[in-house]
Amino acid sequence: MIATALRLHDAITIPARERPARESPARENPALRSARAEPARNAGGIGITVRDLTKSFDSPAVIAGLDLHVPAGQFVAIVGRSGCGKSTLLRLILGLETPTAGRIDLESASARLPPKRIMFQEPRLLPWARVVDNVAVGLGETGTKAERRVRAQAALAEVGLTEKAANWPATLSGGQRQRVALARALVSRPGLLALDEPLGALDALTRIDMQAMIERIWRAQGFTAILVTHDVAEAVAMADRILVVEAGRIALDVKVEVPRPRRRGDADLAALEGRILDHLLGERAPA
Amino acid sequence: MILTRTVERLTPWLVPIAILLGWQAAAATGLVSTRFMPAPSDVVAAGWRAGASGELWTNLWVSFARAATGFLIGGSIGFALGLANGLSQLSERLTDTTLQMVRNIPHLSLIPLVILWFGIDEGAKLFLVAIGVFFPIYANTLHGIRSVDPQLVEMGRVYGMSRTSLFTRVVLPGALPSIFVGLRYALGIMWLTLIVAETISASSGLGYMAMQAREFMLVDVVVLAIVIYAGLGKAADAVTRLLERRFLAWNPAYRNA
Repeated sequence: MIATALRLHDAITIPARERPARESPARENPALRSARAEPARNAGGIGITVRDLTKSFDSPAVIAGLDLHVPAGQFVAIVGRSGCGKSTLLRLILGLETPTAGRIDLESASARLPPKRIMFQEPRLLPWARVVDNVAVGLGETGTKAERRVRAQAALAEVGLTEKAANWPATLSGGQRQRVALARALVSRPGLLALDEPLGALDALTRIDMQAMIERIWRAQGFTAILVTHDVAEAVAMADRILVVEAGRIALDVKVEVPRPRRRGDADLAALEGRILDHLLGERAPA
Repeated sequence: MILTRTVERLTPWLVPIAILLGWQAAAATGLVSTRFMPAPSDVVAAGWRAGASGELWTNLWVSFARAATGFLIGGSIGFALGLANGLSQLSERLTDTTLQMVRNIPHLSLIPLVILWFGIDEGAKLFLVAIGVFFPIYANTLHGIRSVDPQLVEMGRVYGMSRTSLFTRVVLPGALPSIFVGLRYALGIMWLTLIVAETISASSGLGYMAMQAREFMLVDVVVLAIVIYAGLGKAADAVTRLLERRFLAWNPAYRNA
């Protein structure tokens, strides 16, 4: 029995000799090459239509009759105070919670809906799986082991962590771990990427790097992105559109017209940030 | 540099060596009567004799086979029940209270009953060892599964893992450090139980060898048996350490343990 447990465990860690790092191209086998040759093309973003959505755990409702349309490929940021229902809205859209009333429709240009992925506030990496295997978790159960490796490697390259593929997550810094989590979310070429305050725990400089990285990959891949955040500056810097959620409804819906790449400290961005903050803080002011 | 490292490596052995030398000296000068405490050299000689006659190896093998069989039986049942109760609420509600009650009975107190049931056959020893190792494995497997990070389990679900891969890739590896703690405890209890059982009722094995020697006042053989127990305990511990280093390499706490 114990032996069985050990074997099962063994099956998911990579023995050193199998580590994928630094293979010479000449030794590549054809299966691997075909997997790599698979185009980085994206099935396109997922469009989201939410109608009269309500969700209550206990009364009062967390989401109360919310309507929303997000076109495919848009980068939306949802801001709001703690407990305003923004995380619940995200979980509902992902299908992690079932609505009490109302409906959520997802559509995409391709025949099959591409996967939806989430990046949590914490990296949530499996500590007992090497970095590349953690990324492969994002592929679900598809493909052969070799194909999965290759795709995971490619995703790691995208977040600049190729050389960490064979490391244990415990040996990485906080920012690196969150980059692995990003690679895991992106490796399956999702049509929708939900970001539930994924940068909240990082230091200021790492945050800015990560924001730029997420924006770059989003522009290259064209998935729909929904970012839930407390940080209005972050929302303004990254999103096409900002939703302010209050008491389970959308209280403010603004487009960010500033062209990309955006410069930090841009006057238009600062003005917009001020406007949204005023809205959020005004809400608290005694009537 | 090399000198300091050698000194460092030898330091833990200074005290045992000093004790052995003192012991030998005390026996040689007649300070301690060899009727009660044989000199280390006599113990070594007894080991040599028992080894040469083959008696030592037979007894060692018998004891080892008993320990291993009892451990496998009790350990498998404990592991299986620990998994079942960790994964299924129904199973836990059904069996956990009973198991917790039984757990509080010192398993060695069952010896008289076990002798009545099984006589002094193999069954008695296997039963006691199995009962002894069952609880640490059960309790630690259950605890390990309970303490798996729910955030990781949620991540696994969101990323579309099937129930099987959720178990093999998230729950079981997460429970493994705790299962190893149970394994270590169980190995200790395994030797303890076996020795007690063999000392009380057996016709072969290390415990029997020691008891036999006592009847003939062969103190050197008695001490030899005790030294062998120490060695076996150390060996079991070393094996666990090796397994931990192999299977928990991801965990910084075990990497250089």
